[in-house]
Amino acid sequence: MSRWGTMVWLLSGWLLACESHEVKQIPVQVPPEVTVPPRMVYIPEGEFILGKPEDRRTAGGIQVKTGAYLIDRYEVTRAEYHEFDPDHPYSENQAQFPVSLVTWYEADEYCRWQGKRLPTEREWEKAARGTDGRKWPWLIYFEHPNTGFSGFLPEPVDKREEWISPYGVYGMGHNVWEWTESWYFYDGQPAQEVKKFKVIRGGLLQTHLSVRFSPTYFRNYMEPEAAYNFIGFRCAKDVEGEEPRASAD
Amino acid sequence: MKGSQFGFHLDRRTFLKLCSLATGSLLAPPIAGARNGDFRNDKNIPQQYVQNRDIPGFYIRSANPFLGVDIRNWGLAVGGQVKNPVGLGYEDLFGFKMHSQVSRLKCVECWSAKAEWEGFLFQELIDRVQPDPAAQYVYFQSADSYYESYTVDELIRDRVLMVLRMNGQPLSRDHGFPLRLIAPFKYGYKNIKYITQIKFTDDRKRNYWSNNGPYSVDGTIQPGIDHPLDHHKKPIPINGGEVFHFFDKRPG
Repeated sequence: MSRWGTMVWLLSGWLLACESHEVKQIPVQVPPEVTVPPRMVYIPEGEFILGKPEDRRTAGGIQVKTGAYLIDRYEVTRAEYHEFDPDHPYSENQAQFPVSLVTWYEADEYCRWQGKRLPTEREWEKAARGTDGRKWPWLIYFEHPNTGFSGFLPEPVDKREEWISPYGVYGMGHNVWEWTESWYFYDGQPAQEVKKFKVIRGGLLQTHLSVRFSPTYFRNYMEPEAAYNFIGFRCAKDVEGEEPRASAD
Repeated sequence: MKGSQFGFHLDRRTFLKLCSLATGSLLAPPIAGARNGDFRNDKNIPQQYVQNRDIPGFYIRSANPFLGVDIRNWGLAVGGQVKNPVGLGYEDLFGFKMHSQVSRLKCVECWSAKAEWEGFLFQELIDRVQPDPAAQYVYFQSADSYYESYTVDELIRDRVLMVLRMNGQPLSRDHGFPLRLIAPFKYGYKNIKYITQIKFTDDRKRNYWSNNGPYSVDGTIQPGIDHPLDHHKKPIPINGGEVFHFFDKRPG
């Protein structure tokens, strides 16, 4: 085989290896009395690791427990939001892209319209990282796909199976940031900033910026009135018969 | 030279990749000649031209080096798909209600700089020309052959100003005299200077940097890292949208 042939073979092997990455899934037993709605995932009760020990603005890597809950498998799409608000910017050829340019209030209203609610920050993080405290939903490190492009390049919400979380949830480390129900708070936070920002979580792998914003524990925040092209959301729902979810984180 | 209103002496793609690493290597060595006040990034361009200069405190970026606007020959044309197209002189602009704000200009290169900006709301122009309902986009052109594109909705957001004054003085030649746009939630390249024409359209035009580099038409500031010039260019995370650092005062 020529040198070029060898290189092509190695390159194709590397690409195929990347595409064949599969995220090992946590086996989940859904109780027989629970019906999981379409496009939602059942997250069982139990402990997980919240935050990172070295980051004082997270919960610090502590073990916490949640009850069972349901969370959307995908970020809310533009097509889904279009049914709720026909006046929101929309085009057919981007129907499966995550909706963006929505405020926290609009996201909250949409979820309620669906009979759901926004996830708490704690619920979001558990759905993203499972129970082993991983840094990225997909577990392994890979180099940031920096294109040098200054903007944000969203993708269809179901495109990246190789980047799903261990509970099978898509888009927890890329695509849009997501509104959560929780206020942004940390020990030592200035009083004037308390209850001023909502936590947004997990996104933006596909920008010119750093991979440091993709870890499952990374907390970003935003005024709830803000609407940007890089913020969307997904919804969650209580499991009937479960204890009400833990109060805001 | 390739025009670059917000270009720089490094290749832009290379610079962005450096940004992504968020290293301290962004702290560029002192520019030769800076000691005598010559901050030109390209010494082949004559001193008297507006051009890229890394002036401490607030870098200057200019797409196409030029001599600046002669106000005697300057006018602002506002038209396109509108009911009442108008031509305005410099003095006409001071008839609008003035607003002031302190906000950062965040460059896609990674640095930011803060100033007090004073100007009028874009709504004033909408009220004057009365665009067609279908005209949801705005196309700007400038005296230095630059061009930029926005939606009307973006231009009527809070803290977007058509700016005439900076830090208590009329805009300087370097900063866009006589008229520029300040949209603090957009990267610097969206904040067009030396505006001469504003057209309302029913289709979205491209902007200068989407045609000359890997830069988005949208240009919303993404979550990432900033190196504020007023904080020794130390890297600080930003959460996207308008940049406020811990030492900045937020409005309201």
